[in-house]
Amino acid sequence: MNRRSFLKTGVGGAVFLGTVSLTAGLSGCATAPAGRVSAVDSRMDASYRFQFLSKDDIALFEALLPAMFAGALPEEPNQRQFAVAATIERIDQGIVQFGAPNQKELRKLFDLLNFAPTRVTLARVWSDWPSVTTGEADAFLNRWRNSRIGLLNNGYIALSKICNVAFYGHQNQWHLTSYPGPQEWIVNVLPQFKNT
Amino acid sequence: MSMNDPIARGLAAGWKVTDASTLTSNQTAEADVVVIGTGAGGGTTAEILARQGLAVILVEEGRLYYQKDFKMDELTSYANLYQEGMSRTTADGAIAILQGRCVGGSTTVNWTSSFRTPDETLTYWSRQFGLDSLTPDAMAPWFQGREERHTMAPWQTDPNLNNDILRQGCEKLGYTWQVIPRNVKGCWNSGYCGVGCPTNAKQGALMTTIPGALDNNARMYHGLRAEKLVMNQDRIDHLQASAMGPDGVTPSGVTVTLKARHFVVAASAIGSPGLLLRSQLPDPHQRVGKRSFIHPVNATVARMPANVDPFYGAPQSIYSDQFNFSQGVDGPVGYKLEVPPLHPAMAAGVVPGHGPDQLADLSQLARMQSVIALLRDGFHEQSPGGTVTLRDDGSPVLDYPVTDYLWQGIRQAYLHMAEIQFAAGAEAVRAMHLDSTWYKTWAEAKAAIAELPMKPHRARLFTAHQMGGCSMGSNPEDSVVNGFGEHHHVPNLSIHDASIFPTSIGANPQLSVYALAARNSTRLAQKLRSHG
Repeated sequence: MNRRSFLKTGVGGAVFLGTVSLTAGLSGCATAPAGRVSAVDSRMDASYRFQFLSKDDIALFEALLPAMFAGALPEEPNQRQFAVAATIERIDQGIVQFGAPNQKELRKLFDLLNFAPTRVTLARVWSDWPSVTTGEADAFLNRWRNSRIGLLNNGYIALSKICNVAFYGHQNQWHLTSYPGPQEWIVNVLPQFKNT
Repeated sequence: MSMNDPIARGLAAGWKVTDASTLTSNQTAEADVVVIGTGAGGGTTAEILARQGLAVILVEEGRLYYQKDFKMDELTSYANLYQEGMSRTTADGAIAILQGRCVGGSTTVNWTSSFRTPDETLTYWSRQFGLDSLTPDAMAPWFQGREERHTMAPWQTDPNLNNDILRQGCEKLGYTWQVIPRNVKGCWNSGYCGVGCPTNAKQGALMTTIPGALDNNARMYHGLRAEKLVMNQDRIDHLQASAMGPDGVTPSGVTVTLKARHFVVAASAIGSPGLLLRSQLPDPHQRVGKRSFIHPVNATVARMPANVDPFYGAPQSIYSDQFNFSQGVDGPVGYKLEVPPLHPAMAAGVVPGHGPDQLADLSQLARMQSVIALLRDGFHEQSPGGTVTLRDDGSPVLDYPVTDYLWQGIRQAYLHMAEIQFAAGAEAVRAMHLDSTWYKTWAEAKAAIAELPMKPHRARLFTAHQMGGCSMGSNPEDSVVNGFGEHHHVPNLSIHDASIFPTSIGANPQLSVYALAARNSTRLAQKLRSHG
């Protein structure tokens, strides 16, 4: 089926295709929250409990983040893996606070990207996400950014915004924007910063 | 926890504040008035009514955050203090909605800019909507009263460079500019208003009317979401509300039933129509949720030759109304020019990119300066506004189609903002637009902006001001409430927030909400006290 006819099956008013979650579920696509991910899988200690992102979602972000932050991630492999894993955890934490309506929209977007038929037709990504190279991930992001289809532009903005905020907004990455953090003289005198 | 903090002191002194996430069983409470929402409208209403001796219950969907929680940190604040964790958008995703969700509402996270409703707007309302008693003269004492209550005054400290660049560019081009009045007391000029004022200098509802109401025996529930107003015969009998769990977003299963003689809805221009629609209140002309306005915002970013540090200093202190009413109140769309603060998470979220280009842009944050244009929507037939409807789960969603009339204004605004930034010495300017590159000269910018596709998603659009949806007017056929916020069809219901505006304001709206709520609550208090 071609891209345009597939897009027309969307439910009126829905940002992403209402039909995809149903089909993805039937095909066995895992959409349950990942919960605790083993230390080997997450490359971090196993204490964080994922509340929204599924194992497939995590794999999606592991493929996308090197392209999202090309040039900004540490070179050293352990530090690089830590930065990617920590950002994915923060993305999960952020999504919890989105509340049910936008979580539903994101679920549709992630399912669309994780379900092979739509991953191929709409994202033009042929291999599964763990096999996708950084160059291929970047090409996908640019395709959606430059698409004439507003829905795909929206997908690009949603993905890039979630990733950018979680990454550049965190203290570990402030040096990239030369942001010094809150003024020290203020932090030193305000009561809410004492004993922290 | 600091005992110099008014909230900490009040809680310790025995304020009647209930964190609904701690409730374990369904319960009922009763008062003279139930006020839904603790923002600009709800806080003002609750204090005035409570001071008149009426028993008031305040209901807030968000949680109570105060000084101990305000650590000048974007990520925690965006997640906790903003609607949908800062992910709220219009139905098609094209416009990002910045709106508060916490005690104090948007006044807890706004940038303190305080403006009276422009005379042109009040005059338009009189003419178009039969609101003859809302003249500038009639409203003046109400504005003055709220300016005192919220310590509003033109900002006396030098503008930070981020704002001064707007001033410099306007000076060079002969455009008018003024100093912004701010609702602050003892401000430290830190720049963190948008993540909760860490010093309690910001005089929003949290530091003023909410303590005022609670000091006068009002009771407040936070983490409690208003679901439905339930009628008995022709009046509202009670409000059904759901307690949220500790995460603030997942219902716990506990229901609270609140009974009162009168109900005041102040749940925002998205929340109030949502509540009325869920309650299926009488709406014979289908006006609820219609004519929803947002001051659509577009922006440009400049790279300046020296550091600007746009993350420090009072966020907004200079504005230009050069283009706001220059073509008449109802001609081509006008806009107000202001400056936004730029902290890393916000900047990364609004600059639309990824990869090395994004890194290159964001690495220049200290040298970035931004101008925003707030379009004055709702004053023309080709700007009829958006519509609030309910999703399947009962939550409200705003659908806001951007019309060609507005796109023309958006393009004009990009041009004027870039012109001003180059006049102020910018090295390069880009539009917040997927197809914009960095323009090195005004001539290059002018030519390129003329060709930018004016399309949703490609132009990055925002709203920090939500208005309308429960319009006031003298004619029930095109309004939901009258000039006093009294519902046309339900005798014991009032609406006291920005949802009653029949058009957008043409200025940051908090003072307009405060003043109308004060006027309407004063009348309501008299009415309720005389009926025993």
